[in-house]
Order: sequence, then structure tokens, then C-alpha cells
Amino acid sequence: MTGKTARLIFWVGTLTSAAIFLWQTYDFHMQTPRLTHTDKLTEQVVAGKKVWHKYNCNDCHTILGFGGYYAPDMTKAFYRLGENNIASIVQHPDVMYKNSFRKMPQLGVSETETRQLVSFLRWVGDIENRHWPPQDEKFVQAYRLRESQPEKLDKVHLVLQACGGCHTFENQGRNVGGDLTTIANRIPYDRQTLINYMINPQSVRPGVAMPPQDVSPQTAAIIADFILSLKSTKEVNK
Amino acid sequence: MLIEYQSQRVSLWYFRLALVLFILQVIMGLWLSINYAFTLPQDLVNVFPFSTAREIHTNVLVAWMLLGFMGGTYYILPPECGRDLYSPKIAYAQLVIFVAAAVTAVIGFLFGWTRGKPLLEIPFPLNGLIVVAALLFIANVAMTIIQSKQKSALQWMLLGGVTFLAVMYLFGMPFYKNLNTDYYYWWWVIHLWVEGAWEVVTASIVAYIIMRVTGVDRKVVEKWLYVETGLFLFTGIVGTGHHYYWIGAPDYWIWWGGIFSALEPLPIVLMVVDTWMHVRERRNPIVNPLTWYYIIGLAIYHLVGAGLWGFMHTLPPINYYTHGSQITVSHGHLAFFGAYALLNLTIFYFAMPRLKGINKYQDRLGKWGFWITTIGMFVLGLVFGIAGILQTYLERFLDIGYSTAHLTMMFWFRVAFGVGLVFLAGVVITVYHLFTIKPSSIPAPEPVVTPASNI
Ligand code: HEM
Ligand code: HEM
Ligand SMILES: [Fe+2]
Repeated sequence: MTGKTARLIFWVGTLTSAAIFLWQTYDFHMQTPRLTHTDKLTEQVVAGKKVWHKYNCNDCHTILGFGGYYAPDMTKAFYRLGENNIASIVQHPDVMYKNSFRKMPQLGVSETETRQLVSFLRWVGDIENRHWPPQDEKFVQAYRLRESQPEKLDKVHLVLQACGGCHTFENQGRNVGGDLTTIANRIPYDRQTLINYMINPQSVRPGVAMPPQDVSPQTAAIIADFILSLKSTKEVNK
Repeated sequence: MLIEYQSQRVSLWYFRLALVLFILQVIMGLWLSINYAFTLPQDLVNVFPFSTAREIHTNVLVAWMLLGFMGGTYYILPPECGRDLYSPKIAYAQLVIFVAAAVTAVIGFLFGWTRGKPLLEIPFPLNGLIVVAALLFIANVAMTIIQSKQKSALQWMLLGGVTFLAVMYLFGMPFYKNLNTDYYYWWWVIHLWVEGAWEVVTASIVAYIIMRVTGVDRKVVEKWLYVETGLFLFTGIVGTGHHYYWIGAPDYWIWWGGIFSALEPLPIVLMVVDTWMHVRERRNPIVNPLTWYYIIGLAIYHLVGAGLWGFMHTLPPINYYTHGSQITVSHGHLAFFGAYALLNLTIFYFAMPRLKGINKYQDRLGKWGFWITTIGMFVLGLVFGIAGILQTYLERFLDIGYSTAHLTMMFWFRVAFGVGLVFLAGVVITVYHLFTIKPSSIPAPEPVVTPASNI
């Protein structure tokens, strides 16, 4: 090979790749509004992104798979946890992770900032990113189904979607507030009290740590039936 | 005299500071592994969270890498240009600004002063200082080259590489409202650095060192340099797409990113081949075997950490499961260490003895350092890799939940901590050896061709 050929390889290689890349960058900007729903990218979402940066969440949690790998990915966190759970975790990590083997720091995020963060995460969850991460896809599906037709949804999925952020069932979900089967066998409530409890825990048991759940009365009813059914199975078994 | 120009001396302070930061970086790495290995008390986590330690670990890493590149450039430029640096004063001023910004940044992190953007956390005012330092550096390099009577391809490649590096940094600085656009340009910094600009700088510096120590003809070395950098940039630029699979980018990235990035190991293979050929065809005898360990170690480790480990998870169907997991960490460590930590150590072992007027140095301790760090990091990479395979298999493939998957990690990070301690010992030995390097009592073999005949 002559020196001239070598130089040619350098220039042709570099310039073709750069040209393709720049064209793709142009196209990326053209398509981003569709793929990330920029019409829903409100001031509130941007404020949430600033909160996300301010507390350096991204150096423990990945988002879109980037960042620190110490804590769960946040891309679909809105679907996995829901608004209330996110708020409780962000504001009281010491309580939420009391029994966890990994701790989240108390960051001092304010009430307003928490709302902004939730809006940001809700918007991020809608980015059309080919269903990544794989493990959270079930939560996205469950959320979408729950929104449209609660009756037809596989009950376990529904319950875990709503309660799995703090309760476990058959080893699924996060154990902060106890296992649902254990709870079912402990509680003395009837169906309606249980529904009230979910929607506003303080109304039934003042002082309890569980936050109010953002579920419709119909969904709450399905969950209540499910939990009460766990109780009866146990008794029958005995 | 072993150095031809007085102004080459400015590089010594770059190297010394880089080595000190290297130790600090590794200590932070150990602290990170403790965070994984044990349950820490909430009160400690509140004041010194993982996130803060991680930004120190990674920013200090980047800082010492850049110090090594800049020092290395200042060291090789005068003999390559046949004249002193344009201005040693600028070189020192730039060093002071850069280090002041880096130190302030680390202290700021401890108090929560951060941009909260992974790997690029340095707040805006300090970024301003870094830009000033970079501009001074590039101006100094450019003026030295422009005013020199000797022109070479290597000079221009080096200048091109550092300019490319500096320009890419700018894309990480604005605030982007849209998260996907934010990460799109984040990779212009991270990816186009490690798989673009830094490769160009590496190829140029390695070409220079090999030419110097082997006495191989300049024409041959520069031909390889053109082909390698050409292939690096051809595959690496469009290869950026291997980070755009899951960020909400158009579908064709799956193909363009997958195919181009799968070709990225090719130029690295070429680098191994040409290093090997130049060693075999060397015209000068080997004076310092340890410098050679580093040159060859760099070539092979670069291929393993970046080429092999990178290739393993670059194809979309695999990356879907491995993306953002401990497998990424495994690759990040082996690649950064294999390509850039070893490049810097190669530069230090080439330049530091000469700066002290030593031709042949005592290398017994340094050899221990070499073997402990290289093997230590390889084992560390394997441990991260095992943790990563378990994580992806349990969490993403079997889908049995985050907690269960991550509980297994406590064990593997205890192992990582142990291995990390050994690695740290190797780093301390290496740094100590470089700081106290002494002439060997064994006479050095006479060179056959003088370096000047290459120019
Ligand atoms: C005792 C040695 C070391 C240990 C135990 C260690 C440990 C760690 C840990 C636990 C992380 C965080 C991963 C996460 O976010 O979950 C990390 C990140 C990182 N470390 Fe180290 N480290 C060590 C040395 C090094 C060295 C020598 C280098 C480079 C030459 C390096 C480069 C990096 C990089 C680039 C990251 C970011 C990785 C990414 O974003 O994927 N580390 N390290
Ligand atoms: C010396 C060169 C290289 C260095 C220093 C390097 C370093 C890194 C680092 C630190 C990351 C993690 C970034 C983050 O998310 O925080 C990364 C990611 C990645 N690298 Fe490299 N890399 C190099 C070369 C390569 C090559 C040649 C390939 C492909 C053949 C490659 C493939 C990848 C892929 C696919 C990812 C994304 C992993 C994921 O999806 O999480 N890398 N690299
Ligand atoms: Fe990359």
C-alpha cells in the first residue's frame, strides 16, 4: 500500500461516516417530536427534569439505561410504581427502604418538586423506545389494561400493579408494607371498609404509614375481592 | 541528555498530578464496591450517597486521562516539530486552570454542587474554566506545529485528535429539555471520545513511541496511522448508533448502529498487528523491557476490553438484555483500563525516566506493578461480568424481580472489593515506582539508528 492510498482511506472513511451521521442527526431531530411526544413536554415536565438533575438521581438510577446501576431503572417507573408510590419513596426513602439491603438517601425533595418529578417520569414513560427495559414491560401492559378495562385484566397483574410497589404476593412485588396473603389473614375488614382503606387509609386506621392509592372505586373493589379471597383459601386449606 | 528540548519538561507535572488522581480514583472505586457489598447505615447514605462517590470516581478518571494526554502531547511535540513549545508558560497556566477546576469540582460534589448528568456532572462555571484550559492547550499545540519547519502527518493527526476531543465536549454543556435529545448529544461526548477522538490521540502517541523505541521507518508508521485512524472514524462515528437503540430514536439505528459498531474492533486488531510487526522488525535493541510490556500490554488489552467486550454486547438482540447492567460496567472497566489507563502508563514509562535523565531504569518493582494491575483489573472485569450475567438473567430474562436479582450482587461485590484491594496495591506500587525511578546498574545496549534519522 502506498502512502497515498493510506491517506485516501483516512479521508474517505472519515468523511463518509461523518456525512451519514450528520444526515441521521438531522432526521433524528425531525422524528423526535413523534417518538417522544413533545406536545406533552410541558413546563412542569421540564421542571421535573431539573429536579432530576438537581438531586443527581441519575448517578444511582439509570434512565433509558444510562447512569449509575445501583438502583432500579426509571424509564418506566411511572408504570411500575404509580404516582403515589413515587411520591412516598422520594419523600420518605428511610421508611420505604427500612428493610432494604440498599438504602436511598433522604434528599429533601419538596412537595412541589415531587409533583414535578412525577410529571417528568410520566412523560419519560411514554417515550417510544422499543419496550425497554424488558422487565418493566408487564407493568406498562398492566397499566394500559387497567386504564381501559379492569374486569378483563388478569387479577394478579392488576393487584401487583396497584400494590406491588409496597406489598408482595407469591414473591413478586416489593416488601415494604407486608405480604398480601399475610395481610388478608390478619385484617378484620369487610369489603367496603377495605375499599375505603385503599382509597384513604387514614379514614379507617388513623396514623397508618400507607399512602392513599390513586385507584378508581371499581378497581379498588376488584382488588378487595382478590385480597378477601386469599383469606378464604387459607381457611379452607386449614 | 535524553530529552532534546527543555520545554518537554512541562509534561512532568501533568504526569505527576495524573498519577495522584489515579490513586484517588481507585480508592473511590473501592468505596463504590462497598456500597454494593454491604448494607450501609441510612445516616451515612444521607451525607455521602453512592451518587456522589460515583461522580468523583468517574470525573477523576476523566481528569487524569486528559492530564496524561495533554502531558504526553507536550512531551512528544518538541522533538516531533524540531523546536521548543510555542509557550511553556501557557502550558503551565493551562495546567493550573484545569487542575483548579477539577479540584473545585470534586469538593463541590461533596456539597451537592452538581449538574446531575452522569460522567459530565461538572457545573457550568467550572466547565467554563475547562474550556479556557482546552483553548489554551489547542492554541499552544497549533502554534508549535504551525511555526515548526518540519512537517509530519503525525503532528496533524495529533492536533486533529485533540481538537476533535475538545469540540465534542461542547455538546455536553447545554441544558436539553428533552431527555432523549439530552442523551443523543451525551453520546457525542462519551462515545465520540472513547471510540473516536481518544482513539486518534492514542494511535498518534503510540505511533510516535513505537517509532522512537524501535527505529522503524517513519513512512511505514505513518501509513499504518492513516489506515487505523481512518477505520476508527469510519466505524466509530456511525457506530455511535449502538447507544441509540432504546432511547426513542428512529428504527434504522438498529441496523446502522449494529453493523458499524460491530466493525469497530477491526482497527484495534490492526493496531495489535502493527505493534507486533514493528516489534519484530525493530532496528534498535530493547533498552527497557518494562516499557515494552506496556506497549504490547496496551495493544492486547485494548483489543480485549474494547474490541472483544464491546463486541459482545453491541448487537441489538443482545443489548436489549444487557443494556445498562453490570455487564456494561465490566466492559467500561476493561476498556478504560486496557485502552486509556495503559496508554497513559505507557507514556509515563516512556517519558518520565527520560525527563529525569535516565536511559535504562531499574524495573523490578514496576514489573510487579504491571502484573498486579493488569491481572487485577482483568479479574475485576470478570467479577463484574459474572454479576452482570446473573443480573440480566434473573431480572430481565427470568423476570423474578429487582430485589432478588440484586441480592446476589452483594456476594460478587464482596469479591470485587477484595480484588480491588489487590488492584489498588498494584497501582500504589506503580505510582511509587514512577515517582522514584532510578537508573539501572546494567549498561544499556547501544542504539543502532538514531531517532533523528527518522525525521
Ligand atoms: C479498585 C478498583 C475499582 C473498583 C472496585 C471500581 C468499582 C466501580 C463501581 C462499583 C462503579 C459503579 C458502577 C455502577 O454505577 O453501578 C464504577 C464505575 C466506573 N468505573 Fe470503576 N472501579 C475501580 C477502578 C476503576 C478504574 C481503574 C477505572 C478506569 C481505568 C474505572 C472506570 C470506571 C468507569 C468508566 C465507571 C463508569 C461505568 C459506566 O458508566 O458504565 N474504575 N467503578
Ligand atoms: C477504548 C474504547 C472504549 C471505551 C473506553 C469504552 C467505554 C465504555 C463505557 C464507559 C460505557 C458505558 C457508558 C455508560 O452508559 O455509562 C460503554 C458502553 C458501551 N460500549 Fe464501549 N468503550 C470502548 C469501546 C467500545 C467498542 C469498540 C465497542 C463495540 C465494539 C463498544 C461497545 C459498547 C456498547 C454496546 C456499550 C453500551 C452498553 C449498554 O448498552 O449499556 N465499546 N463503553
Ligand atoms: Fe460506544
